[in-house]
Amino acid sequence: MASASQVEEDLATAVAFMQLAIQQAKIAMDSLEVPVGCVIVEDGKVIASGRNRTTETRNATRHAEMEAIDVLLEQWQRTGISVAQVAEKFSNCILYVTCEPCIMCAAALSILGIKKVYYGCANDKFGGCGSILSLHSGSSEHQFSDEGSQRKGFTCTGGILASEAISLLRSFYEQGNPNAPKPHRQPVHQPGN
Amino acid sequence: MGIVYIPPNPPIPPSQQPTVSVYASVIEPKIANTLVRRLNQIAPLENLRHVKRVRKQCLDGGKMQLTVILCLACENGSLSGSMPKDIVELINSYQLSAFVTKVCKYAALSKEEWEEQCKLWPTSYHPPTYNIEGITGFSEEESQLIFSFMKLAIRLATSTNDQVVNAAVIVDPSSKQIIASACDQIHSWNTTVSKTSLEPGQLEQSAVFTSCLTPVVGAMLNGSAGRSKQLTDVSCLHPWHWPQPQLLASSSFFHPLRHAAMVAIESSAAGDRLLFPSNQDIRNQCSHEDDMQSVYSNSPAKRQKTVPLEVVDSEPVDNCSIIVGPEQVRPYLCTGYDIYLVWEPCAMCAMALVHQRIRRIFYALPNPNAGALGSVHRLQGEKSLNHHYAVFRILLPEEELMFGRREGNVYWYNCCENDK
Ligand SMILES: [Zn+2]
Ligand SMILES: [Zn+2]
Repeated sequence: MASASQVEEDLATAVAFMQLAIQQAKIAMDSLEVPVGCVIVEDGKVIASGRNRTTETRNATRHAEMEAIDVLLEQWQRTGISVAQVAEKFSNCILYVTCEPCIMCAAALSILGIKKVYYGCANDKFGGCGSILSLHSGSSEHQFSDEGSQRKGFTCTGGILASEAISLLRSFYEQGNPNAPKPHRQPVHQPGN
Repeated sequence: MGIVYIPPNPPIPPSQQPTVSVYASVIEPKIANTLVRRLNQIAPLENLRHVKRVRKQCLDGGKMQLTVILCLACENGSLSGSMPKDIVELINSYQLSAFVTKVCKYAALSKEEWEEQCKLWPTSYHPPTYNIEGITGFSEEESQLIFSFMKLAIRLATSTNDQVVNAAVIVDPSSKQIIASACDQIHSWNTTVSKTSLEPGQLEQSAVFTSCLTPVVGAMLNGSAGRSKQLTDVSCLHPWHWPQPQLLASSSFFHPLRHAAMVAIESSAAGDRLLFPSNQDIRNQCSHEDDMQSVYSNSPAKRQKTVPLEVVDSEPVDNCSIIVGPEQVRPYLCTGYDIYLVWEPCAMCAMALVHQRIRRIFYALPNPNAGALGSVHRLQGEKSLNHHYAVFRILLPEEELMFGRREGNVYWYNCCENDK
């Protein structure tokens, strides 16, 4: 069992990495994007970071997680490592993301077989790590049982620097885009449709 | 061939579907025709036209047992009370032994619901044929177009000799133009963008137009193991399969997330950026705030100050169509577009299509392992999502599913088995 001091230390580590994810979210915000950011950590070192780029790319799948994953895959393959080594590497990676991964990203993280995810605030509309679907839990009641088809789970812990993540999103949605010309009108909110 | 709507709601278990009680009896097969004709005269099942009069069951030893519905029973189900005199006579003359059983009261609204109903008592199922945007049926012309786009997707999926993959074709149904098409690129991550716009009349000659038709896998083409590959190369069907040993040169690029739908979305976004290079125009004309403002003006009740915490779609902020030139309207993502997929997409791809605002999804083959449109998950029924597409399954005859395959068709047969 982990001692109390160990738990405290782990939390401090998680908070430190989440700060870096928040920085990425702020860069997204400055680039007129929905402020979500992430970092991927291997052996205690940040090996990739990503931020939401959906507006710039006009591709609504370019979430922070997908950006960081692409950085890693490109980086690793440039060094010529094999498919098996890539799978092995993902299974040692920890993702820190400011908001609970959506269903798409959670499915992607399961496909890659990532080890662990820490997130900030929950994603009550699209969350794939417990809010709407639970794609992080690796249970499988499905018929294909050969090894390669087994769905993979990962452990998932929310609430790390949640208030910072929320306040970024809040200021994005409430004040609109800080860099855009400001029409004089009451702040409005993204509808919860 | 047919097109079946896959509704947002999961099939209703028979225990939750309304039922009615009927009198039934096991009968000798040789009297079946006579008896059914007589029963249809004296006790027609007026409001139960979806219910089959006769149930066939295969007993141990291969013997067929027939059970026939005699007439409706009153709900308290006492045997003697409510039975018409003609039926009582029939029972006596054929020495039948009547019992009370339940059948579903309403016709099934979906294939899944129908399958559930048949566990109770067989019913017939007629897919809906009404007419709004396809949820309610398609005209002959629309159906033909839909079939030809699906056949194109199948041709893409089978365009590499010894490998079957998933394929996606994004179409603008208003112009009948192909916006993007792609195959899985798990094992051949190339950055070539495949984009084209073909007239539907050109569909038949179009097998050579996308980058994914260049042989995807080098070693596998020459290798002898191709025939035993089965369907493990189909991304959405086996999303977790990618680390398994491949017959690949180690130098070739791979990307476990480049499923056909993801690649097609990327390709359509790239096309959008090419056609409408400026993001700035859009911001000036239609700011994020304008967009939200207009939505709010429709629902003043929502104007209260709340933390929009639940809304983290990370969606692009220019949420509207922009008139750029006199005729060109820049679409917002894939709003109004359809996608054709050979296999029902996995959760990643299905959610990506929610994010990108696809209007309709057509797929040919269900995905029992990882399908997210009815098989394992049912995203079209997740109420919390901010966008909902309509989902259709296209039923194609086996010959079509074997399209382009000269050998090794056993895989296609296997995955069509459920349809029979
Ligand atoms: Zn996401
Ligand atoms: Zn997929």
